[in-house]
Amino acid sequence: MLVKFNLNGLDVEYVVKPGEYLLDTLRSHGIKSVKKGCDASSCGVCTVLVDDKPVLSCSLLTAKVEGHRVTTVEAIQEEAGKLSECFSKEGADQCGYCNAAYALMVHALKKENPNPTEQEIRDYMVGNLCRCTGYQSQQKAIKAYLGGKK
Amino acid sequence: MKAKSFQRASSLEEAYKLVKESPRNKIVAGGLWLKKGGADVDTLIDLSLLGLDKIEDKKEYVEVGAMVTQREFEKSELVPKMARDAAKAIMGPAFRDIATIGGSVYGKYGFSDIVTALLGYKVDLVFYPEAVVGLLDYVKKPGFYDGILTHVRIYKEDLKAFFKKVEITALDYPIINVAVTKGKEYRVVVGSRPLVACRCEKADAYLNEGGEDFAKGAEIAVEELKFGDSIATKSEYRKQLALTYVRRGLEEVNK
Amino acid sequence: MKKNFKVVNNLTPSVDGKGLMQGRNAYVNDLAPENCLIVKLLRSPHAFAKVKKVDVSEALKLPGVECILTKDNVPHVSFTRAGQGYPEPSPHDKFIFDEYVRYVGDEVAAVAAVNEEVANEALKLIKVDYEVLEPVLDFEKAFENASVIHPEDGIHEMFPIGFDPKKNLAASYEMEVGNVTEELKKCDVVVEDTFYSQAQAHAMMEPHSSFAKLDEHNRLVVYSTTQTPYHVRRIISKTLGLPVEKIRVVKPRVGGGFGGKQAFHGEMFVSLVALRTNKPAKCIFTREEVFGSTYTRHPMRISLKVGADKEGHIKAIDCRALSDTGAYGEHALTVFMIVGSKVLPLYNKVKAVKFGGQVVYTNHVPAGAYRGYGAIQGNYAVESVIDELAEKLHMDPIKLREMNSMKEKETSPIFEIMGEGTEGTAMIMESCKLPYCIKRGRELMNWDEKYPVKKVGDHKVRSVGCAIAMQGSGIPFLDMGSCTIKLNDGGSYMVTVGATDIGQGSDTIISQIVAEELQTTMDKVIIYSSDTDLTPYDCGAYASSTTYVSGNAAYNAASKMRERLLKEAAQELEVKPEDVEFDGKVFTSGEKSVTLDDLATGRMYNNDTRQIAVTESFHGKVSPPPFMAAFGEFEFDTETFEYKMIKYVTVTDCGTTINPALAKGQVEGGIVQGYGMASSEAVLYNSKGKLLSNNFDTYHIPSCKEVGELITEFADSYEPSGPFGAKSVGEIGIDTPPAVLCNAVYNAFGVRIHSLPITPEKIFEAMKAKK
Repeated sequence: MLVKFNLNGLDVEYVVKPGEYLLDTLRSHGIKSVKKGCDASSCGVCTVLVDDKPVLSCSLLTAKVEGHRVTTVEAIQEEAGKLSECFSKEGADQCGYCNAAYALMVHALKKENPNPTEQEIRDYMVGNLCRCTGYQSQQKAIKAYLGGKK
Repeated sequence: MKAKSFQRASSLEEAYKLVKESPRNKIVAGGLWLKKGGADVDTLIDLSLLGLDKIEDKKEYVEVGAMVTQREFEKSELVPKMARDAAKAIMGPAFRDIATIGGSVYGKYGFSDIVTALLGYKVDLVFYPEAVVGLLDYVKKPGFYDGILTHVRIYKEDLKAFFKKVEITALDYPIINVAVTKGKEYRVVVGSRPLVACRCEKADAYLNEGGEDFAKGAEIAVEELKFGDSIATKSEYRKQLALTYVRRGLEEVNK
Repeated sequence: MKKNFKVVNNLTPSVDGKGLMQGRNAYVNDLAPENCLIVKLLRSPHAFAKVKKVDVSEALKLPGVECILTKDNVPHVSFTRAGQGYPEPSPHDKFIFDEYVRYVGDEVAAVAAVNEEVANEALKLIKVDYEVLEPVLDFEKAFENASVIHPEDGIHEMFPIGFDPKKNLAASYEMEVGNVTEELKKCDVVVEDTFYSQAQAHAMMEPHSSFAKLDEHNRLVVYSTTQTPYHVRRIISKTLGLPVEKIRVVKPRVGGGFGGKQAFHGEMFVSLVALRTNKPAKCIFTREEVFGSTYTRHPMRISLKVGADKEGHIKAIDCRALSDTGAYGEHALTVFMIVGSKVLPLYNKVKAVKFGGQVVYTNHVPAGAYRGYGAIQGNYAVESVIDELAEKLHMDPIKLREMNSMKEKETSPIFEIMGEGTEGTAMIMESCKLPYCIKRGRELMNWDEKYPVKKVGDHKVRSVGCAIAMQGSGIPFLDMGSCTIKLNDGGSYMVTVGATDIGQGSDTIISQIVAEELQTTMDKVIIYSSDTDLTPYDCGAYASSTTYVSGNAAYNAASKMRERLLKEAAQELEVKPEDVEFDGKVFTSGEKSVTLDDLATGRMYNNDTRQIAVTESFHGKVSPPPFMAAFGEFEFDTETFEYKMIKYVTVTDCGTTINPALAKGQVEGGIVQGYGMASSEAVLYNSKGKLLSNNFDTYHIPSCKEVGELITEFADSYEPSGPFGAKSVGEIGIDTPPAVLCNAVYNAFGVRIHSLPITPEKIFEAMKAKK
């Protein structure tokens, strides 16, 4: 079937299978920044934004994004760069596999709640697993990036 | 997932017709449980065009469309706080932006925090073709309803509420979940036993008749329910958790 | 010998952090050719069975299927999948496909098809005749069990490791210093206890991935998420009968390894498919395959007897262990030995110490390398028993550790006896700030206020626990790294190293070391790593070798380059090299000077032209251990025994921190991974040997909400044999949480939990039993 949606500011029209998931569609069309980690709605590395809201792309049927806006990290390069600088300061830059998803989550968080508390950051990011950093450095980096309150 | 076609139904009638045509046609709400189950489907029936994504104040009750996501549910000020808190504790935002209230309720999943929380309220489920079924009845009776869940009605009540989800990590299924509400009557609910949530009717009766010993109330609740083992947790520990949190819930709603 | 470093020990962003967060194609599956054949593996549903017949005829008829590999059409050469130095200390007990399957998930056949759908369909069409055999699923009953897991011919050890497959023994080991039995008799106090750890999963975010293709020279090129590209090349060569020079192995960016990628996964299959079909082929493991068909930590039973005099001097330690290596023996002996060699030397003042036991085969998922590599299992047991000893002696547990633990300039006889499957290397602790780490950590935790337990509310208490740890820095004489530095026009340096960055930041810290020695800035150092064609040898990322071994190689090369540059400048300025001064940008001698920029450009294009490049190597003659003292505070519910981490304090001596932020990252990441093993990660099998905990919804690694406040400090220390005084730090973070938590639970409730994970349910049951 044909699915029309807006991908990173560009209108696209892809031929997809009815049971196909957005993660596979994006990767097969060259958007490799979106990663597959578990394919079971459980780890968060496949996160993309649909209408500025974070979703697990491994679990969202591509057919469902018809008429919607999909954003991947390719569209937020400057923000991702700035967030990465905050990550580096805290030593949170390790294997990087979860990082593109983190950049999108933080971008969405900033839109929704520009001045989050530490607890609110944790609640928002809880679904994004990371095995490398132990999380604290990432949390500090996100807080520094957002300039949030205690 | 394996599917032969994806149809966006333009009416409930059309959707229902497709459902009745074959057991291999399935409604896809968020689609998370269809994916987990490894579904092999003929037609995926999508309800996105049917306006079931609203949360509306209908005077006596708040009506939540079945396609409302868990995230929209948790953020809506129309939804009672305890139910919102229960939704908020499920996985992360990127999961909850896909999972729907209809999907959470229709399947009566044992681990569902939403069902446990909602049983603390008076809730009706609206199905198509025309039928209104109380959530309690729906959960108690075996099997699923022959029809499409369109709305969940949460009746407005002035009550104090408590919800607790016990889990190993924040992204886990609950080992047990407990909801306690006190309005004109008490409602004690224990879910994820690992079976689906259940109202503790004997405990409710004891409390509604004026029973004030909350530890006893909790004991009655635990006695009347069936607890089982799951791969990581045995029933005895579940009972201990239920005992503790029902009691604490009763204490909390009486503060 | 401290210096004021300009790049080393300074805040330095990782060289790839920004690019990766911005989503550059960098991981194996991002780089795989678009037209790759998809390779899928048919896996055994039985824990133990003989494969009588594999009928692929129906599957081959399916349009889109290009190639199917089974035991009937692949080389029958035994090898070890473990990425270790040659000859490997792991038994060669694996065939590509064998006539036996030895765990649920073991490979039976590989299908290569044009897409995933066809490949999965083809798997269903393969008919396998299994003769189901009785599996061995209890490692305590594996030794000399009637069911022999490796009855086949053609398997062997590379040198004596105690390999006795007819008895289900993959390896065994014994050593004794002094006479433990005699010493224990003389002790005033003896404590005995036994602990069980479990088969923790690495759970790195990127699944195991590999692809292979033929290049225009018809050489085999393999891209893999591997920690050991050179070992992969050698093992493919020997197993497929292809000369080493016909094979290239590349490791691009890897999404986490932790030891789980220090052994083969799909490389052999994609290589064979590429060679047979002349087409590129890739094999990307599903998460279920990562959990159930790669490797796990070795579950162990460790029994300890520790004796002391009444003043608290520990006199004797007897440690016996049983390790379950699962279906195959990768890393069997070496992990086992580390239980002893990287834990027992902590208590180096004993008169006698004994360590030994067996590593048995079972029909479980194969165990392999995993951060800590035996030290975490050993630490759980030893550091718990030390607390038990302190209690029996009526001594403060920290004081007991301070009295008995390693100090600078001391040694332990164990270093000389226990090495990497063979003998070890004697060494004096030239740097050991453990006493400082303990003292400082105690302060940071405010231990004296909090020990042992304090009520903090209705049904809430908080308690503390502590543990000390050590690890190593590479394997002396076996781990080797090398580094080539090439001078570019303009005066920048192209660095190529074999060192394997799997996210720990070796590319970054190696660049820092080069930049420091050549007195330049990070933007003038470009690094490329882990490509067997283009980068000089490195053993790979394991045994905490990157900073110490690969780092020292980089230091040696940079040093040599510096020497060379001085010579070149001296020639240019017509003076002697010893009369030249260099500040990283300009060479000066009296009134004369020449810039590096000019010199480099001239040598490339028009001024006595030649390419200025150096290559140097390093292997350690010692393995200086990093040390750590850890203190954890937890809050417990006294009715449900649920708990959460409040604070985890560590003070680590890893010498100079080449990159302080990344070193902190290694420690904190390790702590949380170790805390997962201690608290929430439960490995669950069904009664038929099938792994049930095989995705993130059934196997619970810590989320950000499970982590309390981490307070991470480093001791002011300097290791003379390390690059700029550095020791390695990659593993030690993981070692302490099980013992710390176990000790805190005891301090809170007076019950000791003898198996991992320490769940609230286990505490509940222990408390019931106590009553």
